[in-house]
Amino acid sequence: MSVPTTGRTTDELAVWLSDRIALYLRRRPEEIAPAVPLAEYGLDSVAALSLCGDIEEDFGLILEPTVAWDYPTIDALAAHLAESLAGEAAAR
Amino acid sequence: MGTAATGPHGAPGAGRGAPSPGGQEDRAVARIAELEHRLGDPTDERGEMSYARLLDADERAELSEAGERALDEVVLNADFVPERLGGRLERIDTLVRVMRPVFRRDIALGLGYGVTSFMAAVNVWTSGTAEQQRRLAGLLLDGRKVSVAYHELAHGNDFVRNEFQARPADGGYLLDGAKQVINNADRAAAWVLFSRTSPAPGSRSHSVVLAERDGLDPGRYRVLPRYDAVGVRGCHLSGLEFTDCPVPGSALVGEEGKGVELALRAFQVTRSAIPGMALGAADTALRTVVGFARGRRLYRKSVMDIPHARATLSTTFLDLLICDSLSLAATRAVHLLPEETSLYAAAVKYLVPKVLTDAMYDLSIVLGARFYVREGEFGIFQKHVRDLPVLSLGHAGSAACQATIIPQLSRLAKRSWFRDDPAPPSVFRLHEDLPEVAFDKLTLAGGRDGLSAALVTAVDDLPSGSPEERAAHGAALRLMDELRQIQEQSLELAPQDRTALASPATFALADRYAVLLAAASVIGVWQQARGTADEFLADPAWLAAALHRLGRRLGHALPDLPPGCETRLHDEVLRRFGDRRSYDLYNAPLAG
Repeated sequence: MSVPTTGRTTDELAVWLSDRIALYLRRRPEEIAPAVPLAEYGLDSVAALSLCGDIEEDFGLILEPTVAWDYPTIDALAAHLAESLAGEAAAR
Repeated sequence: MGTAATGPHGAPGAGRGAPSPGGQEDRAVARIAELEHRLGDPTDERGEMSYARLLDADERAELSEAGERALDEVVLNADFVPERLGGRLERIDTLVRVMRPVFRRDIALGLGYGVTSFMAAVNVWTSGTAEQQRRLAGLLLDGRKVSVAYHELAHGNDFVRNEFQARPADGGYLLDGAKQVINNADRAAAWVLFSRTSPAPGSRSHSVVLAERDGLDPGRYRVLPRYDAVGVRGCHLSGLEFTDCPVPGSALVGEEGKGVELALRAFQVTRSAIPGMALGAADTALRTVVGFARGRRLYRKSVMDIPHARATLSTTFLDLLICDSLSLAATRAVHLLPEETSLYAAAVKYLVPKVLTDAMYDLSIVLGARFYVREGEFGIFQKHVRDLPVLSLGHAGSAACQATIIPQLSRLAKRSWFRDDPAPPSVFRLHEDLPEVAFDKLTLAGGRDGLSAALVTAVDDLPSGSPEERAAHGAALRLMDELRQIQEQSLELAPQDRTALASPATFALADRYAVLLAAASVIGVWQQARGTADEFLADPAWLAAALHRLGRRLGHALPDLPPGCETRLHDEVLRRFGDRRSYDLYNAPLAG
């Protein structure tokens, strides 16, 4: 089982994340480089907690509220999300 | 006089929530009585810790020497050390009560002698190793002080941007940089320092370091000059400056890089607890003004007979009961609902200092020109007015507390409100035993809210027989409606309103939510007091008046209260003045 049943690839998750984070930062998604720590763009800890709620809402995934601290870039977060979703699907 | 003492008023109920003999409650009551006795009648000018002497010390910008000696003798530090480590700390709600006799007399003494050490120690109780906990307990039980330094002036509550460094080197760390406005920096045996351990941006670059003064190279650190402050003038507020000062690897508290998380979890304990301690100071302010109003005659009447003055005394008493209810629920939630504590702690730290500060202002109007006098019978009032704001400045500004609530609102709106189970009744029981604090269960955002759920459940259970009960029920219905509105607005929050730079309207939403949590606590306290021997708390008069006051604060159009409410409150204010009983939920005996 390498393909998550949600059908979301890591790339798609990265697009979802940059769209969402762009709203928090009041920037355009293309302005946010996927390998640069989000804190450098001014993503504050309040927004990082909010993002965690969004992930729960859209993917049904309950993550630690500190997930955006441990995976501080879009690339890292997308990979972590993909892995967690695959884990969920496999456990089902 | 209005001192018709009735029955065993403050006695804990014989029914539900009754504590076991010789248990936590008996120990708490005995400890509070010991402190009151040792500190003495503050209105007796001959006493070493009278208001008069405390004002003298404040004029000299010193902490009362006699006060510090007394607290040394009773080993107040033991109340900050968990029982398993040899101290007396069993319950956070009890710690709040134990500190009130100190805050009643002098906020500076409460902070400068004690609370700073507690704030520092909680980090170690939360995440320290067994050895760190043992050592710190030893220092505190020895009467030594511990300082805590989270903030740097340049970064305010945005402490993720702090620059003070602990650079990893040779298995330990090199401390480098300065920290400002630290209580007791000059005389502490150890400092808890929030330090940058990685240059990377974000929330995984800081760690908490416990530096013991004894092991440090004296050539590599210095204490900076003392600050002169408007309030708490006796407190030793200064700074620390380190220059590549080595500390061993064993000084690290918790994991490297997890400092922000550690601090936020420790804050949940301290933010729940400290504002409630200050109720002691507001009690003194109210008591001072009651004494003034009874004695002074204007327009050929006693000030007490002037409706505005009389109403102000009653509403201030209500404010104290409201603040104490929220403080009770939050401190007991630390034990019972640790996953939800982030919300309640933020609500306490946000709302209680605000309500108390407003209450002091209202009281100052009754006191009139005497409010400005720095000495004599009413001098303590202006000192408490100057000292009280420190509570909302230090440790977390009110906006920072709202910012803890804001990112949780939409999740609560979707998942919790009108769905969750209510908080267990023990959260609202004043005297019931509690299990140890589960420090490891405190989480940054839990997504549940049993306190609001208790409000929703209660609305169906509230009686509506007497006029007071009907008034309470009506106000509670409006409050439930308010929760519905907060829910709708939280669901509509735009992403940019779920960041620290959210709009003022979003901050207002967090304010309204905090008021609702206070209302839920008031209802819970009243429900659990029913059927106990506490006649006043079991009476719906204060419940109706408190919900009415909170509702009006939210802009609800509510009918006037039945006249019985005001009379009941006024009589209770006078009775407690005459009987020397505390103006809080506990109706505790006072030394003066």
